[in-house]
Amino acid sequence: MDSRLTIAGRELAGLRAEKTILLAIGIQLFIAMFSSFLVVGLVSMYDPGALDGAEIEVAAAGDAVDDLERAAAEVPGASVTPYEDAGAARSAFERNAADAVVVTSRAESGRVSAAVTAPDATVETTVIVVQLRELLRTYELNERDARASSLEESPLPLPDRSDTSPYFTFTYTVLIPLLVFLPVFISGSLIVDSITEELDQGTMELLRVAPVTLAEIVDGKAAAAIGIAPGQALLWLLLLEANGTSVANVGPILALMTALTTLVVSVAVGIAAVAPDRQAAQLLYSVAVLVLFGGATAMAGGPANAVARLAIDSADATTGVLVVAYAAIAAAAYLGVRRVVAVEGFGR
Amino acid sequence: MIDGFRRVGRRLAVGVRRVLRVAKWESARASGGVDRRTLAAGVALLLVAGGVVGVGVATGVAGLDVDQDVYRVGVDAESPYAEAIEDAPSLRPVPAGSASLGDSADAVVVTVVRPGSGDDGSIDAADVDEVVVRASDTQKGEAAAASVREAVASHNERLMRAEPNQTAAFPVVVTLRYVGRTTGVDDGATLGGSNGGSDGGSTDGSDAGTGGGDDGSDGGDGTSGGEGGDSTGDAGSVGSGADSDDDGGFAVPSIGGAAFGANTVGSPGSITPPFPFTSLLLAFAFLVPMNFLIQAYGSSILDERTNRRGEPLLVTPLSPAEIVAGKTLPYAAAAAVVTSLIALLVGGGALSVVAVAPVAATFLGATFVGAMFARSFKELTFVTVGVSVLLTTYAFVPAIFTNVTPVALVSPLTLVVFDLQGEAVSAGEVLFSTAPMAVGAALLFGLGLGVYREEDMFSQKPVTRKFLDALAVRLSAVPVGGAVGGGLLDRDRLRALGSVAFLTACTIPFVFVAELLAVAVLFALPVTVSIPVLLVTIAFIEEVAKSVGLYAGFERGVFERTDRVALAVGLASGTGFFLAEKATAVVQAVGLTDLFLGRAAFADVAGLSGLPPLALAALFFAPLVLHATATSVAALGARRGRTAYALALTLATLGHAAYNVGVVSLG
Repeated sequence: MDSRLTIAGRELAGLRAEKTILLAIGIQLFIAMFSSFLVVGLVSMYDPGALDGAEIEVAAAGDAVDDLERAAAEVPGASVTPYEDAGAARSAFERNAADAVVVTSRAESGRVSAAVTAPDATVETTVIVVQLRELLRTYELNERDARASSLEESPLPLPDRSDTSPYFTFTYTVLIPLLVFLPVFISGSLIVDSITEELDQGTMELLRVAPVTLAEIVDGKAAAAIGIAPGQALLWLLLLEANGTSVANVGPILALMTALTTLVVSVAVGIAAVAPDRQAAQLLYSVAVLVLFGGATAMAGGPANAVARLAIDSADATTGVLVVAYAAIAAAAYLGVRRVVAVEGFGR
Repeated sequence: MIDGFRRVGRRLAVGVRRVLRVAKWESARASGGVDRRTLAAGVALLLVAGGVVGVGVATGVAGLDVDQDVYRVGVDAESPYAEAIEDAPSLRPVPAGSASLGDSADAVVVTVVRPGSGDDGSIDAADVDEVVVRASDTQKGEAAAASVREAVASHNERLMRAEPNQTAAFPVVVTLRYVGRTTGVDDGATLGGSNGGSDGGSTDGSDAGTGGGDDGSDGGDGTSGGEGGDSTGDAGSVGSGADSDDDGGFAVPSIGGAAFGANTVGSPGSITPPFPFTSLLLAFAFLVPMNFLIQAYGSSILDERTNRRGEPLLVTPLSPAEIVAGKTLPYAAAAAVVTSLIALLVGGGALSVVAVAPVAATFLGATFVGAMFARSFKELTFVTVGVSVLLTTYAFVPAIFTNVTPVALVSPLTLVVFDLQGEAVSAGEVLFSTAPMAVGAALLFGLGLGVYREEDMFSQKPVTRKFLDALAVRLSAVPVGGAVGGGLLDRDRLRALGSVAFLTACTIPFVFVAELLAVAVLFALPVTVSIPVLLVTIAFIEEVAKSVGLYAGFERGVFERTDRVALAVGLASGTGFFLAEKATAVVQAVGLTDLFLGRAAFADVAGLSGLPPLALAALFFAPLVLHATATSVAALGARRGRTAYALALTLATLGHAAYNVGVVSLG
């Protein structure tokens, strides 16, 4: 047991000396900021309701102006001003008195054609078009209701609108899983480097001469790599908590991520043992992790979804079973790889 | 003369041959590293994963819904809403009877049924009089309620698509067209403002009716044109048909609508905001292979440095530049091939390849520097990850604002987005977009080459010390003149100070990149927050850029640690920075300074034509005085050691920021 701790301690001392772990945390922070920035930026573009008081002014003309006005009354953030004819509406648009023009006309088939004009090439265009869509959809609903008798199946009445932050779902389903899993990949990458480096520099030979078994070497290195992961994840969860995002089931989340780290580290040890050099090993590791994680995320109840459900407190018995299953798979994979390495040695 | 050319040509030919030889060796080595077994293992992994995911998708187990079942919604199994809830991936139905709000359910769907209906045992949509979603009083409950509304809306949409009577199901057809405004008059009724032009609103019913009728026939032409796509001409005819007085204002429709692709026709739900989402995603595809490429490249460079493997190559007649060029060439070629392939796949043209080239070069350059500085594979891994994260951000974030602001052009990826949208780009824009990154890549290689020598390659120095080494290599000692006065124009001294000025001038592209990154990141914040933060950040970036070389010079013992030398190199560095800054007038060519943030970033003082020449000259040279003074302060600190340098740097930054505030309030 002692020799394993010594090896683990040596690994950690190496990380500390190079201050790489600080760089790793810095990178994670940057990625988190970057993805939040992206989403906040994108969401504000797609959902201007998230911005304060974005209201658009629509100049309307044509047959169905009254109906449009009625629809506008239901939609927050859009108001309709009727104009005598299309020309007047368009000149209002030209004068910047209106943000968009809607000219409606009823066709003989019973359909309503709405010719919509929106301004070109400004950031406001996106906001305007999103609000217009909301307005026109409401209008469509009303029109559809009026024709309900011609429909075989009537649509379900919609519940009332409720105020919600568009970032809420994102925080739990993307940001938290991302932050929880970044340390997992870093740990795997670390152990690939650690093993290939020892092999490359010939220090693995020195270790082999010391009175430790190969299994103990693997144990020590894996313990260091796995050990540093939950701490980083906990750091992020605490940071989120301090930021006002409450995270439920912290214990199970950490258990799940530790199990995944063990799994990824086992894969990494296996790859480092068979690949001829660092270049090949890192490449294989990247592909393997991409495949493993991409595949797992695509499955129902993948690890990202499991973390999201645990964090948002919607977990049920299956989520618990999933955590146990991941732990069992990870333990089996680790013991398997450890055994193979102990028997075969690090190939080369 | 001709002889001279011939000699240069011969030397060039020899150099090219040497580079090619190293390149050949490197590619043989690299393909040997990734041997057949590795390749086979990788392909096998991909196949297995693809198969598993494929089977999963085929059997319906798989789905890329990260938000699956995150909200629990109580709904009765016989309620017509049960199906809608069931179909929404993010909602999990729980029996309404046993659901307790906030504990086992986040929201409960309660339906009010019309009296008398439902006697036959089943309730369908027509029987529902009213529906209420009761949600727990938390953020989660609100989010769940909103998701329920969305789920019902998309359920209705699906129902309607299956209707035989499509006219009744989708009674509204929308033709969306983007038109540029031709007049610059602003009545003030844009976003957020209240309406100023409501005087036209008092139309009575009959008037609207007749006007609309008139319009209806004409408008029919206009909108039917939308189906064909050529609507701009028709739009004019609609205007003139309805009211001949007003069509003057509308006679010049903009063709700029093409910026957002084709005009759209369809039901209201099919309208998509003009955001280049697909083009952005496709542009991102160009960046993905870079990450794999730099991993291999970084390994190869670091391999040279472990176990003194690179030593034999260093003692050959090959120069370090030739070795590095040869080692880089295969990876650059691979990047070019992959980029061209991706361009073919996603439908990009030559412009995409040209635009991605400097990005690839910068990826390689930054990885080269990282691999030269890293002490171990572990450190290299983090350096590589850091490089790819930073560069991806730098390339990607500005590209989001394509179509919005010219600032977006700082990223070559914006050119790719334009290219994928089929939009024309001027040569000046291409130059503005790619040149800084290309120069940056070249300078990165220059920085790394400085330490491509025996004493740095095979030693275990911390990254910061190697960085200082790489800078100090480019400097030479400032001779302390014996005779006062005569020493000032001493040739050695001029050369030494010149190298200081040149080194500082070389930091300009990185300063530029850092400042633009700051602008891009702070773009989304309100101006009251972003401007002060930006001014201090920019001052800091510039002060660091001007003085870090000087600090390296003092630390490495290139400069003598005296106040006189410190002042001299401080002045030289400030002057070099000033000259380089003035030389980057390219920035203004694209109108970047029109943007308020841009003006703050580049301290451009606009609209001063009314000032007397003397004041103008003073304003022109004010930055010179500022840079020289601030850098001299930092240099005086740098000669005394690390702590003094940090203090002096803070002082210089504050002074610089105060000056920036003055400029912004003046402009």
